[in-house]
Formats: sequence, C-alpha cells, structure tokens
Amino acid sequence: MLQTTSHAQTYKRSNRVLRRSYALCPVAPPFGLEGAVLPFGPPGSFGQSPAVRGKRSERVMAATRTASRACEIFTTLEYGPAPESHACALAWLDTQDRHLGHYVNGQWLKPEHRSSVPCQDPITGENLASCLQAQSEDVAAAVEAARASLENWSTQPGAIRAQHLTRLAKAIQKHQRLLWTLESLVTGRAVREVRDRDVPLAQQLLQYHAVQAHTQEEALAGWEPMGVIGLILSPTFPFLDMMWRICPALAVGCTVVVLVPPASPTPLLLAQLAGELGPFPGILNVISGPASLGPVLAAQPGVQKVAFCGAIKEGRALRRTLAGWVPELGLALGAESLLLLTEVADVDSAVEGIVDAAWSDRSPGGLRLLIQEAVWDETMRRLQERMGRLRCGHGLDGAVDMGARGAAARDLAQRYVSEAQSQGAQVFQAGSEPSDSPFFLPTLVSDLPPASPCTQAEVPWPLVVASPFRTAKEALAVANGTPRGGSASVWSERLGQALELAYGLQVGTVWINAHGLRDPAVPTGGCKESGSSWHGGQDGLYEYLRPSGTPAWIPCLSKTLNYDAFGLAPPSTLPAGPETGPAPPYGLFVGGRFQAPGARSSRPIRDSQGSLQGYVAEGGAKDIRGAVEAAHQAAPGWMSQSPAARAALLWALAAALQRREPNLVSRLERHGVELKVAKAEVELSVKRLRAWGARVQAQGCALQVAELRGPVLRLREPLGVLAIVCPDEWPLLAFVSLLAPALAHGNTVVLVPSGACPIPALEVCQEMATLLPAGLVNVVTGDRDHLTRCLALHQDIQALWYFGSAQGSQFVEWASAGNLKPVWVNRGCPRAWDQEAEGAGPELERRAARTKALWLPMGD
Amino acid sequence: MHDKGITTAAVCVYPARVCDAVRALKAAGCDIPVASVATGFPAAQTHLKTRLEEIRLAVEDGATEIDVVINRTLVLTGQWKALYDEIRQFRKACGEAHLKTILATGELGSLTNVYKASMIAMMAGSDFIKTSTGKETVNATFPVAIVMLRAIRDFFWKTGNKVGFKPAGGIRSAKDSLVWLSLIKEELGDEWMKPELFRIGASTLLADIERQIYHHVTGRYAAYHDLPMS
Repeated sequence: MLQTTSHAQTYKRSNRVLRRSYALCPVAPPFGLEGAVLPFGPPGSFGQSPAVRGKRSERVMAATRTASRACEIFTTLEYGPAPESHACALAWLDTQDRHLGHYVNGQWLKPEHRSSVPCQDPITGENLASCLQAQSEDVAAAVEAARASLENWSTQPGAIRAQHLTRLAKAIQKHQRLLWTLESLVTGRAVREVRDRDVPLAQQLLQYHAVQAHTQEEALAGWEPMGVIGLILSPTFPFLDMMWRICPALAVGCTVVVLVPPASPTPLLLAQLAGELGPFPGILNVISGPASLGPVLAAQPGVQKVAFCGAIKEGRALRRTLAGWVPELGLALGAESLLLLTEVADVDSAVEGIVDAAWSDRSPGGLRLLIQEAVWDETMRRLQERMGRLRCGHGLDGAVDMGARGAAARDLAQRYVSEAQSQGAQVFQAGSEPSDSPFFLPTLVSDLPPASPCTQAEVPWPLVVASPFRTAKEALAVANGTPRGGSASVWSERLGQALELAYGLQVGTVWINAHGLRDPAVPTGGCKESGSSWHGGQDGLYEYLRPSGTPAWIPCLSKTLNYDAFGLAPPSTLPAGPETGPAPPYGLFVGGRFQAPGARSSRPIRDSQGSLQGYVAEGGAKDIRGAVEAAHQAAPGWMSQSPAARAALLWALAAALQRREPNLVSRLERHGVELKVAKAEVELSVKRLRAWGARVQAQGCALQVAELRGPVLRLREPLGVLAIVCPDEWPLLAFVSLLAPALAHGNTVVLVPSGACPIPALEVCQEMATLLPAGLVNVVTGDRDHLTRCLALHQDIQALWYFGSAQGSQFVEWASAGNLKPVWVNRGCPRAWDQEAEGAGPELERRAARTKALWLPMGD
Repeated sequence: MHDKGITTAAVCVYPARVCDAVRALKAAGCDIPVASVATGFPAAQTHLKTRLEEIRLAVEDGATEIDVVINRTLVLTGQWKALYDEIRQFRKACGEAHLKTILATGELGSLTNVYKASMIAMMAGSDFIKTSTGKETVNATFPVAIVMLRAIRDFFWKTGNKVGFKPAGGIRSAKDSLVWLSLIKEELGDEWMKPELFRIGASTLLADIERQIYHHVTGRYAAYHDLPMS
C-alpha cells in the first residue's frame, strides 16, 4: 500500500507514451517529409529521372492513405501504423548508385576487384545496397590518409579543432532525418530510440568535445595526442558507439581510421558529413570490412592505439594477437547489464528500467535481473503484464518498442533460450512469433539453477534473466560473482541502502533508480572482462592522450617469442661463496613478515664489482599465489580506510625511510651508486611518499551535473590487487615511486623489486613489517621472468605494471588476455624516475585507480 | 460521423446551474448526464457540514454525477484516516449519484502523496479519480497521471473493482487528447478506454478535434469561424 514513486523514471515513461501517441492518431499521423534535400552533390543529382521520382512519391502516398483504417481505429482503439518515410535514406543510397565503398581522405574510395556484401533491411530482407569489403591495401590507404592529416590537425590550436567539431555537430543537426532513417532502416532498431536519443546525443557529444578541445591547451597541458587511432566496431554496436570514441580522439588532436563491420552505411554517412566540411578531410576515415582486418589495421605503421568494442571473446583474441604490436589497446567488451531490484523499490518504475535496459532498442545486450525475494511475485506479475504491451515491428514505425536485429542476434538469443530451458529454466514470452519471423520477442528467463552454465554466460539481447536474492550482502555476492563488470542499476527508495549497494558493485557505471542514462560529460566504461577503456568526460579524453615527450613508438614485436616457454622455470642458482659485509634481510615479504621461499633456494646478488653482496630468496609460483592471497585478505581493510588514514601511513613510511637513510645510502653505494646520487635517491624517495600522501587527501569525488536532475559522482576506486614488476634501474626510487601511488589509491600490492639490486627494497620491507597492516604490501624476489609469468597469468590480479624487457612486455600483454586485466608496460624503454613527470606524474594517478560513475537522480 | 452518436460524456456545471442544465438538456431531448462540482469547489475551504449539504442539494436538483474536491490539508499533514472518513461521508451524501474525487494533485507536494490520496479516494468508494480542478496553477501532468493510473491498476488487482480516471485542466488540443488515450491504453489497457472509465475534463478541446477532422476530410485547415461555436 505504501508504494513510493521515483520521479525520474515516471517522467521518462510519460515521455515515451507521448511519442507513441501518434500511432493512436487516426486523423493526422506525422508522416515523414517527402523529398528531403540531400546534403551532398549538386541539386540535380538525386532523383535521377522524373519516373524514379514519381515512383518514390507514390510509395509515400501509399503510406499516408490510411483513411480506410481511421474509422476502424476509432472503434477498436488499436494502434495504427505510424510509419516514418525512409525515402531520404534511399535517395542517399541512390547518390552512391546503391553501391557503397569506403570513405577515405574526404572522398569515396571504391577500389575495383573487391568482393561486396549486400546491405539488407533486416526485417523485409530487401536489398538496399551492396557494400565493398576492404582489403589490406584499402586499410593501408586509410591509415596513410590519417597519418598525412595528423600533423596538420594535431598542431592546430584547440579553438580551431573546436570550431570544426561544432560545424560537424551542425551538419548532423541539418541532416538528422537522413541519419536516423538510414540508421533505423539498416539496423532495424526502433526509430524512436535513434531519433530521440542517438542523434541528439551524437550532437551533444560533438559539442561537449568541442569545448574540451577549446580548453585543451590549459586544461590538458603536459599531454599530447597519441596519433593515429584505429577504431574497430563490431556489428552489435550502433553508430553512437563510434561517436563516443571518435569525438574525444578528434578533439584532442588525433586522427581516426574506423573499421566498421560489413554493411554499415551510417558511419560512412557520418564520415561523408565530416569530410565535406572542408579543410581537414583526412581526420576521419571509415572503411568497412570483416573483423579479421583488425590486426591488419593495428599493424599499419603510425597507428598508436587500437580501440575495440565488441564481444568479450573477440576482445580476448585481439589482445593476444596484438601483444607487442600496438602501443595501446583499449577494449570495451560485452553488452550485458545488471539490474538490482530491492524490496523497497518502486516496482513499476523498476519495470520501466528493465524495459529501458533490455527491450527498448537502447541497449545492445541483455540484462541480469536480481530481485529481492519479498517482491519477487509482484515484480514478475508487473513485468509480465508490461511485456504484454511491448510491440515488436518495423523499426521505422514510430509506435514500435523493438525492431529486429538480424539473423545473427536472433540465433544467439534462441540458442541461449534453448540451452537455458535444457538447464531447467522457465521462459516467458508474451505472445509468440513464427520461427521464420525476423523478430525475437521480449523474453524473461527465470529459475535458472545458480551453478548452471547459462547463469555464468553473458545474457544476449533481448533477454532478461531473473534470479532472486534475500539480503543486500547476497545481492552483492551474486552481482559481483561474474567476470563481467559493465553497468548496473540499483532500485531502492532508501538512499542509504542504494548507496551501499552502488559502492559495492564492481562495475563501471551505477544508476540509482534509473537505467541507461548517458551524458557526454560522464565517463562510461567498465572493469574486469568488460575492458578498462573509457569514453565520455575527462577519462575519455585521456584514452587518446599520452604524456608530452613520450618517445616515439618503435615496434618491438618479437615473432619468435614462445609464450609457452617464457619464464617457465627460474634458472637454478648455486652457492657463490660467503656474503661480505652485513647480510641483507632474508626471505620473501609476504603477509607482513619475512618468509622462506617455497622453493627453499636462494639467488646471489652481486654488487657493481661483481663481488657477492648477499643472498635473496628465490620466489616461485607458490609464493606468488600466497602473496596474492595475502593481498586479497588485506584489501577490504585498506579500501575502507579513510584518505587521511592512508596519508598518515604513507607519511609514517616516509619518516621511517628517513631514519634508515644512512643504511639505504650505503646499500646503494655498494651497488655502485655515487654517494651524492645515492643520497639524492633516498631523499627523493622520501619526498615521493610524502607527496602521494598529500595527494590522497586531494582525491575526493568530482561532482558533475548531467542531463538529469541530480548529481553524478565520479568515484575513483581501487583496482584491487595490483602487481608491480619494478625496473632494474633506480632500485629504491622506482620501487617507492610505483608503490606510493598504488597504496595512495587504496590498492594492495604484490611487488617484484629490481632484479639487480633488490636489497634496498627489502630494507624498506623491514620498516613496512612494523608499520603497515599485514598483506598490504608483499615483496617477492627471484627470477623476474618467472615471477612476471606467474603474475601475468594469475586470474585474480586486477592490474599489472611491468617495467622490464620488451619481450617481457609482450608476454605480459599476451598473458593479460586471461582475465583482461589492465596492464602498463614499458617495452624495455627506461623511464626517468627522478623526473617529476615520469616518476610522479598524473599518468601514475590515472593508472592507479579506476573510475566509477554513480548517477543519483533526484525527485520524490 | 452524424450517425455515430458521438456526444460528450457529461455536462459539468457549478451547483447553482444544475437545475438550468437539467432543464436545457431535457428541452433538447438528450439524455446526457449532468455533473456538478461540489464541496466548496475549487478550494474546499468550507465547513464539512456545508460541503455535505452542497452535495445533497446538487443531487436533489438532478445531478447524477458529483465532482468533489478533497481537503488538501488532510493530505499535507498526513491525516489519511480523516481523509478516508470525509470521502466516505461524501459517498453517502451522493446516494445513487456517481462520485468523482478531485485530488488537486498540483498541490499535494509529492508523487508519493498523490499515490496515497488516490488509494484512499478509491477505498472510500469513488467511481472516478480526477487529477485537478482546472483552477490550480499545475493541472493534469503526465507524471502525476502515471502515478494515479498505477494506483488504479493496483486497486483493481487487489479488489477487482475498476475505478475511472479523469484528467482535467490544460488539455486543449486533439494531439494532447491522443497522448492521454495512449497513456490509458499503455498503463491500464483497452478495458479502460470507454466513457465509463475514462473522461477528459476539457472545455476547449472540442473545437480543435473538429478542426482536425475537417483537415482529414478536406485536406485544408479550418478557421475557427468555419465551425460552430462550442
């Protein structure tokens, strides 16, 4: 009885009804305009002959003559058709003679002797056009164009780039009908979503990023554009996903080559709109071709980053293939979302959220739905009732909720449903469709056994898989018990509970009492296997920036690197004589104390003259396992520490280092470092700890206001267990410079110190044993390649920083595909740890934590 | 269209005009019911006794539908039991006449209050719940309507009784009325799309509907003077 109501969702629902009302209108339906003016070419070039023109008008007229149905609609009150004319989309295709190529350097590229695939209306199967498939030469031509225009584009003042992006936004505004009818026609998505959401958002994205470009010189000083960006889109992602990525890339001064799946005309249209603006034709190039061209694109000289959105499996394969190939790979994988419905939710609003998330043609993926048991029956009833009112139909009908997505998507959904049924699930669909229908009805799957394969698998579009939970703790355990971490919404009218759940969810975006909101200023991304690349907001800009002065990328791919053998076993070491001087601390620093290594063997450490300095423990796979476990145990405690407590601990460590200065200096000296330099290294290390301690306090949460009423919090959350392989150089400073930001951001750490000189790090461990909570920092000495292998292949490490050889970097990238952990590698290039920019710059800050966007709509 | 028997669902007047309206309709030979506002419309700031008497008099004069306004103070101060009792008394005073309860949603403060007030009005025996008097600054809005419609559906699911819905105020164009029709269809379904369960309170809507039909038939937009005054 005491039902409460959340304002934002109620309002959205009313907007949706408003749009649909046209279909009830027997009198004056809002038909599309005939004879839309095309943006391109001379006026006479479309509608080739009067005959063709006449035919086209006839088709539209036929659509408008629904008069005979008017009386019927008055009596039955059924929805009539509310078709949107797609004449202008067809006319645009006609300008290309229904034969689409690629759009490169401001021109259409239609090379001969290429195979082509048909672009079909997914609902009628009608052939709309044929699309050429790119080959390696076409990819090379596109990259060459992007490379040629890079210098001009990236050296323009931000204000000029801003103007150009604004002009593109205007161009989209002027030709939006063409854009939305084309997109809806070829993808089959409901025109309502494309017209009312995607197209306006595309313009907002351009405008937002124009502002970012305008202020780039001041706001992003110290960063430079990466260069040519290769973007690979998979078929399930609409053109908007391209916009989310090209806007920041272009804004900061990169140029882009987009590889779109076969038969996707909308990105080509956008490229044409951009290309015909004039002065910078080569900044956006679109080629269409099979996904297998991805590695070809990545391998082109000059490509500095590859961004990929697609399925998790494809992303993982790409990560392995591209190890050592490109400087950066950004992955945005999977499309599943999660909805958590508590017993104090406004169930009707949450049902609308479910519709938004899975059945509105807004989301490319399916939905996992967690329902608190107390409201399970009520939710199911309301949900099934609502499902009965959803309409599937032609995407260009204004009163349709869901269009069709083609045979591949339908088969994927069908396969999941059949498997779920065989695993004991209940499947509910309102109504039924013949098996040869292009549509797949909204589907609700429940009663899946928790351990069944389908529960673990990604839920495909347009499915909702519901499962119950009892307590908030259980909800979090179930929600986080998946390898994916994209987006989620929490439905609860109790703010405290909602926030607790929102903070506990391991995902990139959380909406409270809403689902699927987007804004250019709000970063969107994920964690775990959903990939760690971001778009939108500041985070989206940094994806295409690198610190100024980063050395040019030299391909360091080692084709002979045997991944199966790299670092497989540490070389055996033999006793090398007695230690001279004071013995260093012995053992692996794991779980807060020095422990004997599992292998029970040691490795000698020699000083610069080659005489034996001491023995350190030889760590191995089991020691890494133990260290990771210890780090996980310490993680919840450290994460929940206040920033002030973290800062205090870092400062205490700094003071301890200062006390130990003579000791550390002499250790460094024995390693061949000059006294003056050694002193400076220790002093700088102390300074670094203090500086990161101070920056902990300043982290805070940026508050942004987006389209909705209410704030969006940009949280910076710890990555979890962070593994760090320190470089050989600067044995103390590099160790501290990497450790301090990791701790400051709330991570727990497993660390491999300098291989040549691990002893200063072990000295610091002696201090940490008394100062830090057990397990917060774990230091494992031993063979670097072997330890790197163990860390990179470990599935429960959330991120890995590797500073070592080029081969090691390549291996780390390859092995990270296992759990798709974000990695940071140096490819054998030394880093100036004593310089502020490289040793303590904002790059470290960015990499040491992950972002979470938390949407908090207001209203009662 | 003439043979379709399309009329308004009722003629709604102030209490003092009920007699006139009944007489006029009788003279015209049509059986459209006469509805009367009552209970100190539109502010409801009179004594309960007066408000009840007003209902009785209107019914005596021949009104077969009574639109009452709830006491907003009771909602804003959370006196739900008192609100229920008042509407029960209105119900009794109506006798055979239909009771339409105006919630004056523009002045209830929150959507949660709208939901609670809707529920109480239905529990106390209203045949219709109505958004507003048309005299508040905020009248029938879609978010409020959705909340009321969901309350109607919840009430139906719990009791099996169908209560009607009437938005009022600010609905001036044919296009607006279509949105309202869709809203009912979406939230409550086709069963509610009939005059017994759905009405639009609108004094200026008719002319626009006529103009739209004119356009549909002739392909031209009519000037207001092309159509009879309404």
